[in-house]
Amino acid sequence: MASLGTFLLLATFVVCSYSAVISVVGARRRSRRLIESGIGAFYLVSALMTAASAVIINAFMTGDYSIKYVEHYSDSVQPLFYRITSYWGGLDGSIMFWVFLLSVFGSIAVWVNRERYRELIPYVVATISSVQMFFLYLMVAHKNPFATYLTAVPADGQGLNPLLQNVYMAIHPPSLYIGFVGMTIPFAFGIAALMTGNLDDSWLRAVRRWTMFSWLFLSFGLILGMIWAYEELGWGGYWAWDPVENAALLPWFTATAFLHSVMVQERRSMLRVWNVVLVITTFFLTIFGTFMTRSGVVQSVHAFGDDPMLAKLFTGFMVIILTFSFGLVIWRLPLLKARNELDSWVSREAAFLVNNWVLLFAALFVLFATMFPTLSEAVTGNRLTVAGPFFNKWMVPIGFILLFLTGVGPLLAWRKSTITNLRDSFLFPVGAAVVTAGTLAALGVRVWSSGLCFAMSAMVIGTIVQEFWRGGNVRRKNTGTDIITAIIGLVGRNKRRYGGYIVHLGIVLIFLGFAGNGFKKDEQVLLKPGQQATVGSYTIRNDGLKVNDDGQKQMTTAYLSVFQKGKLIDTLYPAKWAYRKHEQEPTTEVAIRRSFAEDLYIVLAFQPADLATQTATLQIVVNPLVDWIWFGFGIMALGTGIALLPERAYSFALASLPGEAGATAGTLALLLALTIAGGARLSAQAGMGPADQNIQSSYYPRTDFEKQMQHELVCTCGTCGHATIAECRKDPCSVSHEMRADLAALIDQGKTHDEIIQAFIAKHGSQEMLGAPLNQGFNRLAWLFPYLMGAGGAVAVGIAAVKWTRRSGDAPADPIHTDLALDERIDDELRDLD
Amino acid sequence: MTHRYIKIGATATVLLLAFGTLLWSTMREGTEYFKDIDEVMTNQQEWHGKQLQLHGYVVPGSILRKPDSLDYKFKVQNSPARAGESGQVIDAWYTGIVPDTFKGEAEVVLKGRLGPDGFHTDPNGVMAKCPSKYEAKSAAAGS
Repeated sequence: MASLGTFLLLATFVVCSYSAVISVVGARRRSRRLIESGIGAFYLVSALMTAASAVIINAFMTGDYSIKYVEHYSDSVQPLFYRITSYWGGLDGSIMFWVFLLSVFGSIAVWVNRERYRELIPYVVATISSVQMFFLYLMVAHKNPFATYLTAVPADGQGLNPLLQNVYMAIHPPSLYIGFVGMTIPFAFGIAALMTGNLDDSWLRAVRRWTMFSWLFLSFGLILGMIWAYEELGWGGYWAWDPVENAALLPWFTATAFLHSVMVQERRSMLRVWNVVLVITTFFLTIFGTFMTRSGVVQSVHAFGDDPMLAKLFTGFMVIILTFSFGLVIWRLPLLKARNELDSWVSREAAFLVNNWVLLFAALFVLFATMFPTLSEAVTGNRLTVAGPFFNKWMVPIGFILLFLTGVGPLLAWRKSTITNLRDSFLFPVGAAVVTAGTLAALGVRVWSSGLCFAMSAMVIGTIVQEFWRGGNVRRKNTGTDIITAIIGLVGRNKRRYGGYIVHLGIVLIFLGFAGNGFKKDEQVLLKPGQQATVGSYTIRNDGLKVNDDGQKQMTTAYLSVFQKGKLIDTLYPAKWAYRKHEQEPTTEVAIRRSFAEDLYIVLAFQPADLATQTATLQIVVNPLVDWIWFGFGIMALGTGIALLPERAYSFALASLPGEAGATAGTLALLLALTIAGGARLSAQAGMGPADQNIQSSYYPRTDFEKQMQHELVCTCGTCGHATIAECRKDPCSVSHEMRADLAALIDQGKTHDEIIQAFIAKHGSQEMLGAPLNQGFNRLAWLFPYLMGAGGAVAVGIAAVKWTRRSGDAPADPIHTDLALDERIDDELRDLD
Repeated sequence: MTHRYIKIGATATVLLLAFGTLLWSTMREGTEYFKDIDEVMTNQQEWHGKQLQLHGYVVPGSILRKPDSLDYKFKVQNSPARAGESGQVIDAWYTGIVPDTFKGEAEVVLKGRLGPDGFHTDPNGVMAKCPSKYEAKSAAAGS
């Protein structure tokens, strides 16, 4: 199998080179046949990479430990799911995964655009193929994931680090890679535009969606990394300005800048050089980030090891990218001349420009600070490091400027804002900010930096509300509908603009979460049994420690009672788990009590000596507002989704719905939403049948009570993504089988609901198996949130589709003009955007 | 036209100067030296009282903890124990929760200041090398 894999990689490299060369030749000779051949070879690359991925996944699944990579990152006891995700668990595989994604994305991008951008396509193919060639060369020559042991094949693998055997960690790298890899597509189109000289705005249209899509996944990857750090690493925070984190943040800044400045080029034909540069920079930073984390250039607690050879190859590649791309830009400068000049600094485009500078500055600053230790060592010989506080000192003000611009930008008119429209549009948002600031000052919240953040957030929200309200009102008057329909219609007409505002709203929520950090309380205490400690409004009592073993790991759990205002409000069970083969690296099982206002976050620090005295060493953290960050991302994703929705989806909805079928369609949409929300549950239940015997059909509930209990308990096997034990029957899962057996036994003993829960907690040493922690309604809400957002989105689209269908015929032909200036402004923008 | 360039130039200069000054002033308090123990111990006086990140390896069996407290005293040496040569050794003090990976032979980076009686580690200043999920870890596990 390994030789097949190596052969596939070699073949891919050859096909890839062919595709790159033949496309350029075809384009220069204007030979349709050669170009078609290049595109064919390009598709073949993705087929070959899919085959190679299948080979390595197969090796992981069958446990072919003669392959070094498989031996390093998996073992035979690892659940199937994590054996598959081990594909991208290490360096060699992640490079291969990278090429795989790039080939698939590239093929899709070429397929979609092959007719519309016929002239650009050969160069797009050549650019993407060249990038693929580099990574393929890396694998073939230096980091072959299919390298085998020539002698002494190990009987079992070393296993994936337990810290990585976590759902977030399984999806965080692919999400980040999708974001990174996706940025290659805009770059390829940019290079193609430069090569062919087709530098009108059409190439931007081809890449806008790709950038947005990649940006969404990049953001998602970053957020997942934060959640993982917060819930798994147990140090109480989510972002540490670690080089690996920064590496992913850099292209995010420039991509965000591009998403904004692209609008200026579309509207005003300005910033053309700037946009090309941003696309190139973003791509360069994705490569640079990969280089930084994989070559050992920067010291990081979780970077890949030293690899000078890799560093050299990457450096060479980066030099080529920079010389080639910027060479092209300079060569094409005459064609990139702006057609307009900035009329006034009080204009939308000026706000975008400043936003771009600030974002670029943020990227440069983070780059500088991340590389500073390496730079200082190279220059002075002394390794100087910079830490979190230094980053914060700079990034907090930068964040404020960006937040401020988020509030101001949408209020300014294109070209030039007059005094009157400044007064009109700023009154409400600034009022909101002032009122908030006043209230906070009266409450004694400190001004810097949390108070300022809250006030500015109020301003941005004020801006967004005002934009929706005014736009909605204009549309209402024009179409004669109610305000809600008008607003939904408005969003539909201007998906990008109003989707963007929703993204802004998400950003504001994330900023609120960051601001909450300023009120964080963090204490380390040592509690003997029965002793109490008070942090914030919580009093925590140690009820003792317990050790359990489930065969896979040893679990030490602290039993804690949490009191607030003298009342017992919760029991928490922070734990340490020591997995077999990884006894030296116990994992931290943080106990978190979530709420909208603040999280109570408790980590057990455990020394074997503590067990005899039953002393709990605890880090107790109160994290205000932290959950708003995750909520904010949900809103951001919703907004991006709206902006990304293809035009066709709307026209389809319009075309296929008969005018009077409103009620039916509404019900359908609702049903659809419910199906999405309840999908997992429905399908799992459908799969249950008396036909499957053995383990899968073990312990079907005999009574309603048992059924209810089975749905409340979650399987701890780790492969099923926390399915309940009623559902986890797909694999021969002995864990859920045992848990059902335990449950049946407890029910036979006549235990009540609460007694059973307590028995499970005692046995497993944590609350892990509780599907929805019982007395924490908020937790359940938090889990439901993504589904609710999805459902809300589906319902909104459904209602919108119905409403427009109904109203489209009888919209008044002659719109009523009341606020001429505003109307003009909005119409002006409606016409051009999307 | 020239008038415009002067304006742009002046703005740029002012901005650059402002940023430079800010950067320089924040860097001075924000940066820390990253040193190996041998480098510090050969010239102790020079490093007294300076904010440092000290890199070394915990001497096996040297970790002491005051009963019923979070006060630790331990020794750190320049080179890993299995290298044979231990290099210079320094006493270190710390109060707080230590990471799980903090034990004998662990590679650590300590943040803090050097005093006459040893290295005083800041709160949360103990960073034990992550049981790296990648290459380094497999090497360690294999050894």
